[in-house]
Amino acid sequence: MTILLEMKDIHKVYPNGTAANRGVDLTVYEGEIHALVGENGAGKSTLMKILFGLEAPTSGTIEYKGKPVSFKGPKDAIEQGMGMVHQHFMLAPSLSVSENIVLGEEPKKGPLSMFRDRATERRGIVKLIETYGLKVDPDARVETIPVGQKQRVEILKVLYRGARLIILDEPTAVLTPQETDELFASIKALVGQGYTIIFITHKLREVMEISNRVTVIKAGKTIATLNTKETNPEQISRLMVGREVLFRVEKQPAEPKEPVLSIRDLHSVDDKGAPALRGISLDIRAGEVVGIAGVEGNGQTELVEAITGLRRATSGSIRYLDKELVGKSVANIRAMKIGHVPEDRQTTGASLTSTIAENLILDHYRNPEFKRGPFLNKKKIKQFAKVMMEIFDVRAQNEEVLAGSLSGGNLQKVVIARELSKNPKLLIASQPTRGVDIGAIEFIHREIIKRRDGGAAVLLVSAELSEVMALSDRIAVIYEGEIVAVLDNTPELTEENIGYYMLGLGKKHREKEGAAQ
Amino acid sequence: MKTEKAIYLELAGIAFAIVIALLCGFAVILATSAEPFTALSSLIVDPVSNLFNIGTILNKAVPLIFTGLSLAVVFQSGVFSMGAEGQLYAGGFLGALVAVNIHGLPAWIHFPLILVCAMAGGALFAGIAGWLKAYWNANEVVTTLMLNFVAILATSYFVNNVFKDPASGGYARMPYISPDLLLKKPIPGFPAHTGFVLALLAVVVVYLLLYKTKVGYELRLVGKNSRFADYGGIHTNRVIISSIMIGGALAGLAGIVEILGVHGTYKDNFSAGLGFDGIIIALLARNHPVGVLIAALFYAYIQVGAQTMQVGSDMPREVAVIIQVMLVLLVSSQAIFAFLKQKYATRQKAVK
Amino acid sequence: MWQALWTQIADLTLIVVLLRLMTPILLSALGGLISDIAGVINIGLEGLMLLSAFTSIAVGAATDSWVIGTIAGVAASVAMCYVMGFFSIKLKVDIIIAGFAVNIFGSGFTVFLMSKIYGLTGNYSPENLNPIPNVVIPGIQDIPVLGKLLSGHNLMVWISLIAVVFCFVLLYRTPYGVHLRSVGEAPAAAKSLGIPVGRVQYSALAWSGVFSGLAGAYMSMGMTSMFVKDMTAGTGFLALAVVLLGNRNPVGIFFGSLIFGLASAVTTIVQTTPGSQVPSQFIQMIPYVVTIVALVIFAVRKKRKLLTQAS
Repeated sequence: MTILLEMKDIHKVYPNGTAANRGVDLTVYEGEIHALVGENGAGKSTLMKILFGLEAPTSGTIEYKGKPVSFKGPKDAIEQGMGMVHQHFMLAPSLSVSENIVLGEEPKKGPLSMFRDRATERRGIVKLIETYGLKVDPDARVETIPVGQKQRVEILKVLYRGARLIILDEPTAVLTPQETDELFASIKALVGQGYTIIFITHKLREVMEISNRVTVIKAGKTIATLNTKETNPEQISRLMVGREVLFRVEKQPAEPKEPVLSIRDLHSVDDKGAPALRGISLDIRAGEVVGIAGVEGNGQTELVEAITGLRRATSGSIRYLDKELVGKSVANIRAMKIGHVPEDRQTTGASLTSTIAENLILDHYRNPEFKRGPFLNKKKIKQFAKVMMEIFDVRAQNEEVLAGSLSGGNLQKVVIARELSKNPKLLIASQPTRGVDIGAIEFIHREIIKRRDGGAAVLLVSAELSEVMALSDRIAVIYEGEIVAVLDNTPELTEENIGYYMLGLGKKHREKEGAAQ
Repeated sequence: MKTEKAIYLELAGIAFAIVIALLCGFAVILATSAEPFTALSSLIVDPVSNLFNIGTILNKAVPLIFTGLSLAVVFQSGVFSMGAEGQLYAGGFLGALVAVNIHGLPAWIHFPLILVCAMAGGALFAGIAGWLKAYWNANEVVTTLMLNFVAILATSYFVNNVFKDPASGGYARMPYISPDLLLKKPIPGFPAHTGFVLALLAVVVVYLLLYKTKVGYELRLVGKNSRFADYGGIHTNRVIISSIMIGGALAGLAGIVEILGVHGTYKDNFSAGLGFDGIIIALLARNHPVGVLIAALFYAYIQVGAQTMQVGSDMPREVAVIIQVMLVLLVSSQAIFAFLKQKYATRQKAVK
Repeated sequence: MWQALWTQIADLTLIVVLLRLMTPILLSALGGLISDIAGVINIGLEGLMLLSAFTSIAVGAATDSWVIGTIAGVAASVAMCYVMGFFSIKLKVDIIIAGFAVNIFGSGFTVFLMSKIYGLTGNYSPENLNPIPNVVIPGIQDIPVLGKLLSGHNLMVWISLIAVVFCFVLLYRTPYGVHLRSVGEAPAAAKSLGIPVGRVQYSALAWSGVFSGLAGAYMSMGMTSMFVKDMTAGTGFLALAVVLLGNRNPVGIFFGSLIFGLASAVTTIVQTTPGSQVPSQFIQMIPYVVTIVALVIFAVRKKRKLLTQAS
């Protein structure tokens, strides 16, 4: 097999001192599907930006088709026959599908003409669509087509530019299982026609299913490159995280008591107005952790937002203890001893340009205890912040440091500290350990279990199935806005069991109407 | 990076911007004046060469402090209002109306009443933009710009017709306000009026409001990260409306203090851009009340300097515009400030 | 007053005045449109027009040629746009602040130049100016209604109407237009395909300079024959409003300008009619109020759309 691309000893240090790549090697053969795996923040995206000329490497060499190359921008990479499908779609919503595909290389009426040749353009696109079987309406405006089709537009864009090496960055993150299957079929067809694919992901199942070889990156370094046939998910996972099992949590069996949260037939819509929750029913009892498992985008975000008052429920009820939460304001709900660790600490969970102390008092500033006359009691706030930073092991010079300058793990501890500081009876933790270092993960997991043992009800939402399995006492599987199964987390339960429901292949056990009463 | 270090860097950057802006102004003077050194000295030295000019600087600074504070509050809540000009007219108009048309009240009741009415006028008018922004999601840059014209035209109509002083002839103004309601000039021979004291008071109040109270905490949080504020149960819409209205009240004060201190009554088009100058001042001050005080004094100094230069040399006072424009652009340049911080960070590393 | 208005409508004076007053609004709004579409909202139209108005009349009077004058005005305006682009694109100054600075600059710097060059402070009216000519169409000019309707308008009136078509073709029928739209909507996407986002934005600003330049030249050398301090008197802001009202396309902008031009024309007629009961200030206010109302209507419509999608 001939080597198509060889990246050797790539280093990238950003001006602020962060080392994103610290010696990455990547060799891709012509005509293969090469999976590139690693945890969030392992340096995959930086590597691809370097390959594409969006970032310049600090050191290292790139050889493409046997010749050393250094791209100054995406245009160079595209000209050399590379194409990239970004994780977040790079499409102009109000332009048509075909305008998006030809963008930057529009056919003109003659070599010197200033005008678009729309007839030729359309003919070319129709032919392209037929050749590769990537069905989409060329005249539709991009904002009107579904996600799966948008991805096809992205792939068509790359093919239109004559790419032979196609990089797919986490392409399945936003897809339904059917769409994923269709995507995989398209990928296989492309490889059959001589294309080469680099497939970036952190889903091991997909690696096993589709790739020929796999390169594992950890903390900015290449750990190994393996033939997929000769390896297994356990080995890859071990290489990715560097230890036997990622999540092992010491915990006693749960002793669940009365229900704290009872959701009945809850409906809601997403930001675009499309149904996102279609009749969710779920009970969470004091002293247990209920984990939500599901492919991202199946309603997890909307469910958490509906409970916490950030999203209006269109119908249904959410009982918390003896109160109804539907229709209550966020402030009311937060005042009821409900803690909420939001999925995105950067945008929602913290104000990065405020100090640690200002982030910690988000609820307490309303508390008379934190006031002195008409003013906020600065001494009290300072003292409170200091104590919280101590208890939750937030490592920073002092409480006046801006939250934005903290590492992911420390910032998440600030968020957790705030949400636990009100002794919640219900804790909703959404992606509590996303992009956080191992030490902080263990700390956060221990805190969650501690709260459970202290009698709190915990709702855990995580994209990491292994995290859900490690922490939960019961696992509710969400699929297209419905809870399709609620499973007891016994040692016999496997990822495959849960995966079966996550893919929408079956239904089991729905909370009975009124079961809590 | 530690917070204090960040503040010092920011200040250094602003000082750098001021120096460059001044140099640009000087360069234009050197290039176009036949007597550049006379012009430069009358620009820089004359404003502080006698008590009269110093007093004029203080008087010029007063409305600028108010409009600067007005926009500092609004900007801190993340709203980019350009409406201080219109609010100033609305507030000044209502205040003057109360000053002119109510008779027989003792001055110690009448005077505060005038101020309150001016604040109410500014706040209510600002409330329109706030309401449009919060509940209708109408872009505040556009609505405030449009509302400025509405305020200027409406007040112009009233002062030209309904409330015009019959004795004013071709000049549109209200009847003069009774002298015991006007702001006094307490020091003989020194033209500064007591509005400066009110302005200092306003600086303190706004500082306390922003940094020491619940309202200020909410307001700044909404400005820094409104999603975080939403998540924390803060009614961001209400906060936005109140911040715009507080800003409006301060702009209204700017108008009435200018009327009571300088003009003696409401005159058509009396502001001529004080509300827009406030934008420059808030930007220079990084929306900090104390910074507003310093920036307004500096800005007034340049303006008086431009006037003394026009009198004392062959340069027109519009030269000051070049300095103003460069100031606005340089202090708002995120690239320059990011560059400074990065330079500092790498030097720190080299030291270690 | 109604009488006067009616006579002016009947003898088509209103249309003539309307076209005169609409032209600068339409031209600068088209400029605003192109920069808006490329994601660089230019609120400095007012300052650009002033700069061009002064430059063009100064150069026009000195060279005795309206062509050279207009070119000089447009060049000054475009140059200013490049400076604005440098600050906003390169030095990352917020585009609104950059535009704000351009307005201050345009207003102050023209007065500075006027006083430095001519020693004047209020206005400058050169004695032997060769202004932008009116287009008299032989044959048609003598036909009663048609003559007044089509003949005798200033050349710039026609240029502004052609500019509408020009912008339409530019935006929708050339690759460059698609690039403009993509840069405004999805800059990251455009960049990933090698479209030079910065350069496209510079060019969009330059276009707004071209059109504001034409508008400015018309104001000092066509509509009037003088430069007056701050003579644009809010036309640039009206243009900004028209961009929003016109739903961000050239045809919509044409109709928006028509409405605002009408309000201005009625204002002029009311102001020049003795004994009119309707205060001119309130008619002048109409465009601003209409803009605010329109913004609200757009917002309501958007909300409705979301709600109907939901159900």
